[in-house]
Amino acid sequence: MSNFERLLNQGEFVVCGEMGPPQSADKAAIIRKCDYFRGVVDAVNLTDNQTAIVRMSSIMASVFVVEGGLEPIMQMTCRDRNRLALQSDILGAYAAGIENILCLTGDYQTFGNHPEAKGVFDLDSVQLIHTLREMNEGRFLSGDEIKAPPKMFIGGAANPFAEPLDLRIIRLGKKIRAGANFIQTQPVFDFVKFDKWIKAVRDEGYDQQVHIIAGVMPVKSVKALEYMRESVPGMSIADEYISRMKSAADPKEEGVAICVETIKRLHKTQGVKGVHIMPVLWESITPRIVEEAELLPRPILTSPHQEEVEVQ
Amino acid sequence: MSKLSEAIASFCEKYALLNKSAVVAENIVKKPVFGCQDCGQCVLSHDAFTCPMRCPKQIRNGPCGGTREKGFCEVYPDRRCIWWLINERSKKMGRQGKLRKYHIPVDRRLERTSAWLNMFAGRILPMDLGKELKEVELIKKDPPPMR
Ligand code: SF4
Repeated sequence: MSNFERLLNQGEFVVCGEMGPPQSADKAAIIRKCDYFRGVVDAVNLTDNQTAIVRMSSIMASVFVVEGGLEPIMQMTCRDRNRLALQSDILGAYAAGIENILCLTGDYQTFGNHPEAKGVFDLDSVQLIHTLREMNEGRFLSGDEIKAPPKMFIGGAANPFAEPLDLRIIRLGKKIRAGANFIQTQPVFDFVKFDKWIKAVRDEGYDQQVHIIAGVMPVKSVKALEYMRESVPGMSIADEYISRMKSAADPKEEGVAICVETIKRLHKTQGVKGVHIMPVLWESITPRIVEEAELLPRPILTSPHQEEVEVQ
Repeated sequence: MSKLSEAIASFCEKYALLNKSAVVAENIVKKPVFGCQDCGQCVLSHDAFTCPMRCPKQIRNGPCGGTREKGFCEVYPDRRCIWWLINERSKKMGRQGKLRKYHIPVDRRLERTSAWLNMFAGRILPMDLGKELKEVELIKKDPPPMR
């Protein structure tokens, strides 16, 4: 069992970080970035060719993060692999000590740096979650037995801000029934929508069936916010934050302040079990944010996650 | 399905002409009316008679996280998200409860085969015209002998 899973089961308010693997074969870059996160977060997300831009594989980046003394949450999209490749990568990843996985459908290929590529989409994210549950229970998707099955902690994503709300909640229910253990959301910049969503989640009792981890994002400038508002489909940004960033004497400081406030508010929100801090190209700010949000020190767990892998 | 329907399916599938006619007849109805994409394992009766395979990401359990304001598609901003349409129509028809079902991965061997025959043969979920969701377990079967 991963530390991340144990903490959630113990009822700790968890903190996740996020790292984009390099657009190169530079392992040292990952090891260096691990320093920002050690002792500061409970697990780190490793993105899988995010926005359809080619980067080092999330599997190998996760392996390096384990070497760097952190616990990874490996992201996996359905865009680049069919069910054979997905399943074989899951086996390999678990054998390498990766125990948390986040299942995504994936950004469409035409948005990335290889727009001429073929998108695979053999499965969708709900079906990938289903596949993982089957594998955890010792079966491939074909029904064949897996002798030494993986025991992944399965995650899915939810977007509280995209419309329509009722369908979003139905889909969250599908992910839970398919086997999701935790859910990470898009970054919160709109509490009107988020509060509505989390209330709907609670009304269905879903917050009792899955751990909801809310996303937050520190931004350096008002430009970043405006860009997200205009160009990232499915994002919602309250005017309040735009005007605050615009009028701030030091926008970076204001970005940190907004992020810390958001975390504190989420901490108090019923049904939220943790936060996922995702600074884009600003990983170094993570320790400061966690500290100012009064979430330090992080709880220390005794048994390292390697143990169970080796037992098999 | 029943023994009889299985017999009908296996009879039709034995003869190329019958088999082809089933596919053609189905396409004539389903392509223009429902935007059928010929996956051979029809879920129209679950999804307000709106084919989810028209989604550029072919999401059977949609929508993705990128749907734009007012329900426009992330990939093609001038088109409606197919799942937005499915949801709207489901609500109008009182069939939203049916969207709770999660659909298992597509059997790619059934693409371009007749979903009607596949249904008679018991390879895919039966058509479910009721408004409420009926949970049916699917037993894995071999694909049709011919395409
Ligand atoms: S917005 Fe809707 S139709 Fe477009 S890719 Fe996403 S789920 Fe598919």
